[in-house]
Amino acid sequence: MATILLEVATPDKGEVYSKDINMLITRSICGELGILPKHANLLTELIPHAMRIKETGGETKLFISGGFMEVTPEKITILADAAEAPDDIDVERAKSAYKRAEERLAKKDSDLDIDRAEAALARAKARLLVKGVPIP
Amino acid sequence: MANLQHIRRRIKSVKNIQKITNAMDMIARSRFNAAREALLSNVPYVAKTKEIMRRVMGQMRGQEYEHPFIKTRADLIAEQQEGAGKFLFIVIASDKGLAGSFSSNVLKAAHDTIEYDGTSESSSLDSDDDDENFHKKNFDALKGIKPAGKRTPKQQRQMSATGGIARSAAHQGGADSRTNVSVAREYHDADYIEGIELITVGRKATTHFKQRGYNIIKSYHGISERPQYKYAKEITDLVMERFASGEIIDVTLIYTQFKSAISCAPDDVTLLPIVTDDYTKASANLKEEYIYEPDVVSLLDKFMPRRIATRIYGAMLHSAASELSSRMNAMSNATDNAQELVGRLNLFYNKVRQAGITNEINEIVGGANALE
Repeated sequence: MATILLEVATPDKGEVYSKDINMLITRSICGELGILPKHANLLTELIPHAMRIKETGGETKLFISGGFMEVTPEKITILADAAEAPDDIDVERAKSAYKRAEERLAKKDSDLDIDRAEAALARAKARLLVKGVPIP
Repeated sequence: MANLQHIRRRIKSVKNIQKITNAMDMIARSRFNAAREALLSNVPYVAKTKEIMRRVMGQMRGQEYEHPFIKTRADLIAEQQEGAGKFLFIVIASDKGLAGSFSSNVLKAAHDTIEYDGTSESSSLDSDDDDENFHKKNFDALKGIKPAGKRTPKQQRQMSATGGIARSAAHQGGADSRTNVSVAREYHDADYIEGIELITVGRKATTHFKQRGYNIIKSYHGISERPQYKYAKEITDLVMERFASGEIIDVTLIYTQFKSAISCAPDDVTLLPIVTDDYTKASANLKEEYIYEPDVVSLLDKFMPRRIATRIYGAMLHSAASELSSRMNAMSNATDNAQELVGRLNLFYNKVRQAGITNEINEIVGGANALE
């Protein structure tokens, strides 16, 4: 089966992921995207989500806190603010972040706070999803 | 004759200094390892951002996109001729001293960049960054422009500041380029300083420029050794906002580039505006155009700040590693010097002590002889 190289880099951790994969299912600001080998050139922005990577061995998940994705027929490059494999995720922290964000959203203070809380909520949700933990 | 007690005291104090410098050396060493690690982890991200930027800009070349951060060279020069706005410089130095010539080197380089006189050497020409040729090409284009009639002071300032942009070219253009463009050194002029804004990172940079009357719009302290991405982002947001409003027309970053544990050098890079002429079609290296989702302008609105924040963060990491390696070298030199000084003082101490003993023996022998 044809493969495509996936590279994920973050400012703090360098190259987090670099492997030949069969398919990538990711979420951009325009919606869900499935990328197969030999995809047309594409540039888009990603939102915080749990990315699904299909490899020969099965499927893995990777948390992406938002960023950019460039696709060429041979290679997918993702520039993320943060990217975490299931093993790197702190469940307790994600859970408490989730609760905090929910509380903040319930209060509804100013516009800015809501934006930030919503982003935090999305991140916490995606982290829990990658880890396979049910969302409270 | 020197007093024994006095010398003993000196030896002790030198030894104490040695202990301190040695401790500082070790602290710098361990922090340096962390800083180098952080820098190395950042490298792939920066490289990939740059790659994408190149491809995107390579495609943009020659196409008409209305975007405030992207300009053609002709537009840019026209704008600078009008004297439309201020120049902003981001200077990254250290919070603390005791790092050899680290701070003074980068501050000197900052002055060279800010107060361009058309003669200074450029340190950036050979580097690989896609932005570096910016200076040179701008200068080449400006060479064709003859100063038209009498200028207002503001225009003059702008012309000399434009010379600042064209700095690298003097390197190549030599004397004749200097005659064509008015690049008189005007930095003593309060008027010139008025056209400049600074963002400083590190206490040393802040105090240095504050003393010289520069307008510092924002400064960051306490982060020089351990930079964080969020500060780079903050700086980027501020810069983008001021640039978008048209108050500033040029943003240059000055920092110290880390090369190895024993070598680092100041470097400068123009962050904004981005000039499409500098990116060749070849660097796009793509057979077909990108599909932009949602569309090119809103994507660039998001991508550009990220690219600039990445560059600033990378520069901060470079600067941190350079600072700590400089401190390491300075402190290990100081420790060695202290060691040598202690050795010399010990020798001197023993000489004085022996001279005293010899003297006493002489006196005793003399006294005994006198009694006989």
